[in-house]
Amino acid sequence: MNYLPSDYLPIIVQLVLALGFIVITMLVTHNIGPKRNSKLKDEPFECGIEAKGDARTPISIKYFLVAILFVLFDVEVIFMYPWAVNFKKLGLFGFGEMILFMGLLLAGFYYIIKKGVLEWEK
Amino acid sequence: MLSIILLSIFGIVVLFLGFQKSKNILLPATLLCIAIAFAANFVHWNDAPGLYFKEMLFENRLTMSFSAIVLLSAFLVVALTRGFADDEAAQPAEYYAIILFSLVGAIMMIGFDNLIMLFLGVEILSVSMYVLTGSDKRNLRSNEAALKYFLMGAFATGIMLFGIALLYGATGSFNLTDIRGYVGTNSFSISTLLYVGLLLVLIGMLFKVSAAPFHFWTPDVYDGAPTVFTAFMSTIVKTAGFAAIYRLLSGSFEGIYNFWWFTLAAITILTLVVGNITAVYQQSFKRMMAYSSISHAGYLLLSLTAMTAQTPDAIVFYSLAYSLATVSAFGVLMAVAREKSVQSHENAEDFEAFNGLGKRNPLLAFVLTVSMLSLAGIPLTAGFWGKFFIFGTIVERGNLIWMLIVAILMSAVGIYYYFKVIIATYMKDGETGALRVPPFYRIVLIVSTTLTLLFGLIPKLLS
Repeated sequence: MNYLPSDYLPIIVQLVLALGFIVITMLVTHNIGPKRNSKLKDEPFECGIEAKGDARTPISIKYFLVAILFVLFDVEVIFMYPWAVNFKKLGLFGFGEMILFMGLLLAGFYYIIKKGVLEWEK
Repeated sequence: MLSIILLSIFGIVVLFLGFQKSKNILLPATLLCIAIAFAANFVHWNDAPGLYFKEMLFENRLTMSFSAIVLLSAFLVVALTRGFADDEAAQPAEYYAIILFSLVGAIMMIGFDNLIMLFLGVEILSVSMYVLTGSDKRNLRSNEAALKYFLMGAFATGIMLFGIALLYGATGSFNLTDIRGYVGTNSFSISTLLYVGLLLVLIGMLFKVSAAPFHFWTPDVYDGAPTVFTAFMSTIVKTAGFAAIYRLLSGSFEGIYNFWWFTLAAITILTLVVGNITAVYQQSFKRMMAYSSISHAGYLLLSLTAMTAQTPDAIVFYSLAYSLATVSAFGVLMAVAREKSVQSHENAEDFEAFNGLGKRNPLLAFVLTVSMLSLAGIPLTAGFWGKFFIFGTIVERGNLIWMLIVAILMSAVGIYYYFKVIIATYMKDGETGALRVPPFYRIVLIVSTTLTLLFGLIPKLLS
């Protein structure tokens, strides 16, 4: 398990290529082609709503709560895939563990409902 | 290990108890939960040491003692919360549940035998602390503290995780025993990755216990967090953090002591100097306690640097003495500041808050004095013996006497700012009128003070 510094050369090459591509494309696009800006030209034409005001407006906390809860309960599926693949191998023990896990998860879900986080109009 | 399972279940139970109309049941229920976990902690006392959960966690008498200190300080701190009865916006059930969950993390940190468990424990404890720091939602300083703590803590955890990955790269295992085996057998051809990995893990851990170059978050976070959670943070996180560092260094890396001792020695000296000197200039009691906690981290690091056979006992005793004194100091501050913040909305946590306390409430003044004396390391208190044992390990190591000299000089500096509090209590005139404290609160303070004095008189009690 001994590596020489030269063994890491491919990583450097990759890094240089990646950076080089970005730098070169940016340089080339900035220098080739004419630059004619006008107010009308900078506006979004036929692509969405006109920009108005600041992007940083206060948003109801409910959106954050729903979003974060979605992430929480969505991520748990990650644990279920490998469990389902190895279901036979893990046997009854694995089944019990997953029941425990789901039990804890549902306890959390019950807590959220009880707290009234999912009631949108309150 | 039973206590981990119990605390996890209790946490969920307390969370759901919060749906009841009456919030009065929460405080006794939480205290009962911690007491049961405390008892369950000693179930395997006679058949220790043992490995649990597929060699993920380790338990021997040392880890049980550390867990006992953590649970005892948690019990005292929770008892000081008074159920958050006077705070309208508080969510007691959630706070108690988070406290119980964080104790699970602390016990995992204390008894890990696999670096994955160390990471999990650190994360469980830290994430709980981030939430509790920001629990005073309407207070801007509390929010600021929580965000600072979270951003820096997440960074430190990332660094630690990177270190764990490098250790795995070098040794091919997360297991402490396997890493020890690797260090022992390949002592002449240890991969550089191991050294870098060890340093990165140490940086992450030293951040959590707020040692000097990584201490910048401490004063702001301790100052901004609600006082009761500051007390929780400064006792439980510190004890668990040092138990984890000790376990890591003694469990796996004793073979390369010559590599890490100098790094740790430099950090120790820096921590002692920065913590003590900066504490002198503080106006706020809470900030002073923050710097004082940094300096106590320095003393504990001193013993880790020595790493002799006596080190574990010294760390256990010192953590206990420090936790008891800190809990009672913050308890008095809460009693005084609560009264004051009702009358006026000025900053109630300065030293002046204690002016005239000796006349207003002699008991509180006595409790505060004992805890300050214990923190300063004056004889007849537990803190003295804590320092004595710590210095003993350094003497035993032999070639580190120069560190001992710095440490003694710095504890002399410490006496100055601890006595500033005592002087404010007895010598200065402040508000008059008796300060009333609820009976339950008084019992907690009396218990922690009695323990401090008891361990100060009979240090052999703990063995």
